[in-house]
Amino acid sequence: MVEKAPVVEMRNIKKNFGGVQALKGVDLVLHHNEVLGLVGDNAAGKSTLMKILSGAYIPDEGEIFVEGKKIHMASSKDAHKQGIEMVYQDLALANNLDVVANVFMGREKTNLQLGQIGVLDEHYMEKETERLLDRLKIDISSVRLKVESLSGGQRQAIAIARSTAFDAKVTIMDEPTAALSVAAIEKVLDLVKELKAQGNSIIIISHRIEDIYQVSDRMMVLRQGRKVCDTKVTGDIDTFREHVVAYIVGARDDFAEEGGKQANGKNR
Amino acid sequence: MVKTDRSEEITLIGDAKRLFHENIREWGMYIALLVIMIIFTITTKGVFLSSRNISNLINQTGYIAILAIGMTLVIIISHIDLSVGYLSGFLGAVAATAMEFWHMPAPISIALIIIIGAMAGLLTGFLVGQMKIPAFVATLAGWLGYRGALQLVTMHRGTIVITNDAFNAIGSGYIPDIPIIPDIGIFAGVHKLTLTLGLLVIIFYIISTVKLRNRMLYHNFKVSPMHLFILKVIFMSALIGVITWILSGFRGLSWTAVIVIVVVLFYHFIMARTNLGRHIYAVGGNPEAAQLTGISVKKITYIVFCSMGMLAALSGVLYASRFKSATTTAGTLFELDAIAAAFVGGASPSGGIGKVTGSIVGAFVMMSLTSGMNLMGIDISYQYIVRALVLVAAVVFDVATRNRKKT
Repeated sequence: MVEKAPVVEMRNIKKNFGGVQALKGVDLVLHHNEVLGLVGDNAAGKSTLMKILSGAYIPDEGEIFVEGKKIHMASSKDAHKQGIEMVYQDLALANNLDVVANVFMGREKTNLQLGQIGVLDEHYMEKETERLLDRLKIDISSVRLKVESLSGGQRQAIAIARSTAFDAKVTIMDEPTAALSVAAIEKVLDLVKELKAQGNSIIIISHRIEDIYQVSDRMMVLRQGRKVCDTKVTGDIDTFREHVVAYIVGARDDFAEEGGKQANGKNR
Repeated sequence: MVKTDRSEEITLIGDAKRLFHENIREWGMYIALLVIMIIFTITTKGVFLSSRNISNLINQTGYIAILAIGMTLVIIISHIDLSVGYLSGFLGAVAATAMEFWHMPAPISIALIIIIGAMAGLLTGFLVGQMKIPAFVATLAGWLGYRGALQLVTMHRGTIVITNDAFNAIGSGYIPDIPIIPDIGIFAGVHKLTLTLGLLVIIFYIISTVKLRNRMLYHNFKVSPMHLFILKVIFMSALIGVITWILSGFRGLSWTAVIVIVVVLFYHFIMARTNLGRHIYAVGGNPEAAQLTGISVKKITYIVFCSMGMLAALSGVLYASRFKSATTTAGTLFELDAIAAAFVGGASPSGGIGKVTGSIVGAFVMMSLTSGMNLMGIDISYQYIVRALVLVAAVVFDVATRNRKKT
């Protein structure tokens, strides 16, 4: 197969918390401009795996490749440098600050730098925020509104927009549709489609298959720290959901990789 | 791009009403200060607003105001610092000892205690940021510790009298006047340099607000309508003018006032215009989010407590130099006055919200109450109760306006 190296490849990732084995050797491949749904029950290891990819956790074992190059990540800053950004479930926005301040949080543009302290370039940050929201078709009356005055869907949109603001190659979304209204979920899914249309690669964590079925190209199922299924999203939603849910709850455990890629069975 | 309801009545009163509702928290504070001042001016038959009393009031507020500035930052990151009162007293006593017994010059003594203050702040930062001890407990320990330290330093004679004139001038001296302008006409017995400075401040204020407004218009920000803007500029200019006029009638601007103004401007700039200030607000608003975006919560905690310690030292200098001595009770309850000033000035007990300028106004509200009630001869027990009511009212007002905004 003559193909570009996958944008992200994780091999045999293991992670223990005390005596609990959260991840027991998981492989993950994310191709260019692909939306990967990562599903599984609570405590299946989805968030742990993604926190490793975003640099928040350091794995006990395993390797991570970004565009074919092996990398080491010790912090979320390292992940940012690789163009990997995570949108957290609890939004990770500061409600007391406005949209601009949240988008640029921790990466404020400054002029007149004196040591580590610099004068904020509000004009630049404001224009960039407006451009970013325009590009992603996010509708907010003013970028100077405080985040606390926005709706849940708008906040999720801001959180996602922020993750893509700094030339992200890979955007990881942790339960982006949790605790949102139906209309807001639609908006978030539109945003995911928009990001894909603009060439981003995306991983979405969810335990609601319905929500991410329509945007995902592929779905990967984790169960008790193991990858138990990795399948293209095809067919109508009902049969597909039944197929995947069987793996999520452990009714089926007969997984082998599709499409003749190297077998994964030896990890088990 | 901002959607405003154009059907609303476009009259001066209508605009004022809308603007008032939007900025109710900030306006409430200024109105409270104004009302308090008017009431006391009437009840004391004008003594409250006399040059001597206002000058005295500013010097009295100085050491609390300095602490309130640092406390605002601490409260913004959702912590509290109970130790700074006695720390300020202790450091004042160290400065007194350094000058009187070790014969060190005033600047070196001040530098010495600012360094000690910074180290004390870093220690608090270590306990709170690194060891994750609740700030209330960590600084309560500081409260006890520095109280003991203060008594140790002043043990031998109870009170250390400071004889260093340069040092004492900081808390009880005034800026010199321009000698060349003759004392005639309206300038008779008036402090000319203070007036000149006041005039410069007014000019600077008008230029900068007009510039800011133009910049906001250019960026399509919502601005207040022109007539209200002019009204506000006239009001603020008149206020600065009246204050400088009153001050120039006594001995002019005190060094304490100069120090407070410089510190306020510096901290206001840091908090409003720099990435450090933005990070402090971010840590206060959502520490987990701040950490995830690469802001070190630990580092911010260290910085904020360190600045608090340094300001405690400065407060100690102002207090000791005002009374030309260091006493065993210096600094008692300063921390609570500073905390009250910050809350009255609009800082939110739940963190993330607060302004340095607000806390200064809060400090003046609290000190005006004390000063006015003293002039009226009201018993100290009633004074405490009145101040308690004002503090509660401020926080209730804060909670009420914030809840209303959310619905």
